[in-house]
Amino acid sequence: MRSIQEILKQKPWLGWIIFAATVVIVFLLGMLASSIIERRTEAVFAYTPQITFSEFEPRNEKWGEFFPREYNSYMKTSDTTFRSKYNGSAMIDMLEESPRMAVLWAGYLFSRDYNQGRGHYYAVEDIQKTLRTGAPSANVPSPQPNTCWTCKSPDVPRVMNKTGIAEFYKGTWDTKGTEIINPIGCADCHDSKTMNLRISRPALLEAFESLGKDITKASHQEMRSLVCAQCHVEYYFNKKMIEGVQYLVFPWKNGTSADGIARYYDDMEFSDWIHSLSRAPMLKAQHPDYEIYLTGTHASRGVSCADCHMPFISEGGQKFTDHHLQSPLNNIANSCQVCHREETERLISDVYSRQDKIIENRNTLELLLVRCQVEAKTAWDKGATEVQMKDILHNIRNAQWRWDFSSAGHGNSFHSPVETGRIISAGIAIAQDARVKLARLLASLDYNREIPYPDIITKARAQEYIGLEMKKLNEEKRIFLETVLPEWIRTGKEREKEYEKN
Amino acid sequence: MSLLKKLIPPDRWKLPVILAAGVFTGLGLYSFHISRAPSYLGNKPETCINCHIMAPEYATWAHSSHREKTNCNDCHVPHNNIINKYFFKAKDGLRHAAIFTLRKEPQVIFIKEAGKEAVHKNCIRCHSDLLTDSRLMGYNSSTNVFRMDRNCRDCHRETPHGRINSLASIPWARVPLPGSIVPEWMKKRLNPNHNNTIMP
Repeated sequence: MRSIQEILKQKPWLGWIIFAATVVIVFLLGMLASSIIERRTEAVFAYTPQITFSEFEPRNEKWGEFFPREYNSYMKTSDTTFRSKYNGSAMIDMLEESPRMAVLWAGYLFSRDYNQGRGHYYAVEDIQKTLRTGAPSANVPSPQPNTCWTCKSPDVPRVMNKTGIAEFYKGTWDTKGTEIINPIGCADCHDSKTMNLRISRPALLEAFESLGKDITKASHQEMRSLVCAQCHVEYYFNKKMIEGVQYLVFPWKNGTSADGIARYYDDMEFSDWIHSLSRAPMLKAQHPDYEIYLTGTHASRGVSCADCHMPFISEGGQKFTDHHLQSPLNNIANSCQVCHREETERLISDVYSRQDKIIENRNTLELLLVRCQVEAKTAWDKGATEVQMKDILHNIRNAQWRWDFSSAGHGNSFHSPVETGRIISAGIAIAQDARVKLARLLASLDYNREIPYPDIITKARAQEYIGLEMKKLNEEKRIFLETVLPEWIRTGKEREKEYEKN
Repeated sequence: MSLLKKLIPPDRWKLPVILAAGVFTGLGLYSFHISRAPSYLGNKPETCINCHIMAPEYATWAHSSHREKTNCNDCHVPHNNIINKYFFKAKDGLRHAAIFTLRKEPQVIFIKEAGKEAVHKNCIRCHSDLLTDSRLMGYNSSTNVFRMDRNCRDCHRETPHGRINSLASIPWARVPLPGSIVPEWMKKRLNPNHNNTIMP
């Protein structure tokens, strides 16, 4: 055998061929490498919209220019035609449905006005219209702080970034009336550059910190619930953290259960208001949707909020996430039936049967609580002392907390029927305990008869019973809506015109 | 051995040959690395979206009930034995890589015969109880023929990806890119009073 050197000496052209072949191979390998890189870069840029707005763009219609399908489906949250057995997308006057609630909230703004909410589209409009925010004018401030705006609008992160978080919460609700004008929308959940889900409200981050959990480790699937948990949770305003600020806090330090949260409030001796009949230091549960959902079967199977409330839909040959957030009862095919191969009627009747059973006991507890409040008032009237009343009032506070926790949520009786049933049963036991103590106390005060149940058959009578001057409140609100509010909206729109100039 | 010896260059050529071989190996390894080649040995669904054109398939799966129990490989490669599994994977994978590199991928991707067969067998692998009724098997020997000669997918066409899953049909089937879920502005805002924000 000859060596390559010898061969090449005899046939120099063979050297050129080897050279050319090497060039071709290296050239092709290089092309392959750059092609791989190109296609990887494509993945990042291929579907990234060439947006022209900032991360704080609060106007949903601006985002909608780039995401017309998502935007159009979001706009359907303005539809108020769907009505299920107990809820739906229409506004329902809950005090009319159950005038007992007005008595349970006597001395608190909720007794004036409490509605089953409409879709996200109405978030700003409905907080402006409710009697709970009062009728602010140049001389009269709103009874609520700016903290109330926190969940209502993508204007919130915009202003928070400008002023700071605590500064945002500071002041009465009317002082930011011109700043918050866009309803809950795109910027509340989405990062403007990548369209990834993001957390835009500090309270949830702080709550995770208090639990010792790192929210940045959340998976995409968890984020599809956590963006909702920025608002659909139990919260309170802490007045002691920063002077003059009602700071928004989620009370999760002892866990997210009704009992853990009650213990948290007891430990810090917090109360939302003093009941005007029983004088009990009361708690108002907001809407612990996320907390209750966590205890349910769907959560433990890894189903997120978005899986049922924002399923994939097909429209015109395209498939995308339905941004029409609504009751899945109005969209069984795309939500329930992805997993449950049952007839629509059957699935709906399953939901209704759970709701029927939960509301049966909720009504029992509600009735007991009205009796508690009225009987406690009678005890005070008959000369009971603070020492005698202390335990009873604590019972009333705890029982009503459990009633509120289970009924204030939007879908508790479906999301977690067993846990909701448990909380209500515990409430019934505590309320009965309070009534036994009250009966004993009243007997010792020489009053051993049944205390009549008040005549609260309608909302109007209940409100009259607790001494609300509804005529005056409604009239003041009318003036606010006709004179102050249009001015807020006009100023806000003027301000937004400045965005285009930059 | 003599062949190997023939390949060993004479002394004064050794250095250039080592350098040239290094260039080849380096380029090869580099391509290996940037194409995330090692991930193809595993079963993570994220591997399949190394090629972004698979995003619609990933997104539709992630919105289906199958996402809780399966990954891509559970259905799309055979599981009768491990050799066949990796042979099928290699065969399919190399074809996919070649077509993707040549930019020959169609807008609407249809499954090929071999893939259909693999998927069908995998349906049966988990759902055999739905197919074979032990009582009927005893009575009727043709049950097997009648029940097994059709593909599950012939009827269950929406399972699990749905019928609409082309690139153009699911424009926002984005698989979220990694990144912080806490916006920068809020991190900055929260830090100054960090201790205050912990519960009182």
